[in-house]
Amino acid sequence: MKLLNIIGRIYDEEILSRLSFLKGIKLFEGIKKRQLIHVLENLQERTYLKGETLFAQGDIGRALFIVFSGRIALSRLDPATQKSVVIAEVHPGEFFGEMALLEEMPRTATAYATEEARVFMLFKIKLESLLFARPNIGVVIAAQLAKILSARLRAIIEKP
Amino acid sequence: MSNGNTQKNYTQFLLPAFIGLALVYFAALAKGAIFPFILSAALAYILSPIIKYFEVRGIKRSYAVAGLYLGAGALVFTVVYLLLHFLSFELESLQQSWPAYAERMQQFVTNLNARLVKNYPFLVSLRMEQKLDHLLGLAPQFILSLLPMLTLLFIVPFITFFMLVGGSGIIDYLLDHLPARHAEIILHIASRIDGSLGNYLRGILTEAFVIFLIAFGCLLLLNLNYAAVIAILIGISSLVPYLGAIVGAVLSSIVSYLQFGAIMPIIKLLAFFTGIRFFDDWFLQPYIMKKAVDLNPAVILLALMAGAEIGGIWGVIFSIPVTCIIKEITQIAVELQETEFRWKPKPEPTRISIPYT
Repeated sequence: MKLLNIIGRIYDEEILSRLSFLKGIKLFEGIKKRQLIHVLENLQERTYLKGETLFAQGDIGRALFIVFSGRIALSRLDPATQKSVVIAEVHPGEFFGEMALLEEMPRTATAYATEEARVFMLFKIKLESLLFARPNIGVVIAAQLAKILSARLRAIIEKP
Repeated sequence: MSNGNTQKNYTQFLLPAFIGLALVYFAALAKGAIFPFILSAALAYILSPIIKYFEVRGIKRSYAVAGLYLGAGALVFTVVYLLLHFLSFELESLQQSWPAYAERMQQFVTNLNARLVKNYPFLVSLRMEQKLDHLLGLAPQFILSLLPMLTLLFIVPFITFFMLVGGSGIIDYLLDHLPARHAEIILHIASRIDGSLGNYLRGILTEAFVIFLIAFGCLLLLNLNYAAVIAILIGISSLVPYLGAIVGAVLSSIVSYLQFGAIMPIIKLLAFFTGIRFFDDWFLQPYIMKKAVDLNPAVILLALMAGAEIGGIWGVIFSIPVTCIIKEITQIAVELQETEFRWKPKPEPTRISIPYT
């Protein structure tokens, strides 16, 4: 019992919860839990307060965002009315901005926190180093990324 | 309205600018006191991946740091014990043979000088012997001036410990208080610099250690006296690009001349150090430093000379990492000018004519 207490004091429960959280992310589907440690090593964490902008439409994208807690709204400027329209709301476990991992192009929407949110950022440069240093993880992410983009494309085409 | 906005835009930079200026002023005033902290920050930066390795595997940071210090302490104790074991023999033999060596060295220099003066009489005006005497007189003073550096050996690990334990909290605080809109670009720049600089520092430390091991093994095989001392000096000087092999070649040639008094062992040693140089360039560096900043040898030389001019021996040690940062920042700045400030036309997205099927 005493030994368990000591191990409990040394062990960080938060890391375990983060790893379990990453296990549920579609982008990392197929990566073993012990391999997710290397993904976690390459993620950058940051808290955004309610109303803070993560990025604006037209900014050059450099990272993918995974929502850990809180909510993020994505809005786009309607060229006809010149008004900003909310196109989606991102909840914990979902991610956005994956185009930045493929090419450094301007963002197509603005992202802002609708409540205090904790997000993980995966930068293009970190994904590249993961691809070279741990190809078995990198290949899974790249394949998932392709699947997700294909699904988005299909959704646009099948839109009535 | 727009005037008000502009004023607001300027005033928001007042506090950070004031804090920045105050920090620079404080650093200029307390230059001496800050130096161990800079060294500690550099050491903490080099050690941080080891702490992160344990942290992401669920070990609390404070325990990971304590474990690292205990492990490093045990390792340092063992290495120092083994080195002292080797060195004590060597230092003892050096103590016994030093008078004979010193006499031979002095005789060698006197003979060389006499021969040179005989052939080239204008060399008398250079007064080489007096200059050598003056240099030998300065040696003890130089060794004494190195003593304060020893205190750094105790202070730096102490400060580093607290930086490693509490450092992540400060970094997290700063990250959370960056202007939200610019956090992505700032973190992108930081991760780029961290990528190349971290790889360079960790690469050069691994390289120095590998060179130390090879040099130690080969000098032992060649049966050269003071192999441990020379190998340590080669390892340390390998932290400065190109210096390791030069220091090794010069030192071991002198020791070899004094020990064997023949030219053949010197040729063998010179061939060995040329081999080390090529091995380093062709195998070690491409493997260890593959993801670090690629610096041109001319730039390295300029950086080393500028470092020596600005900060002496410490300037030389810090010159290459600082050059890495400058090179990465310059590259990022050019890229930002092209993408953010539209120096180049907007990049064209990849277009495919065949529709989605």
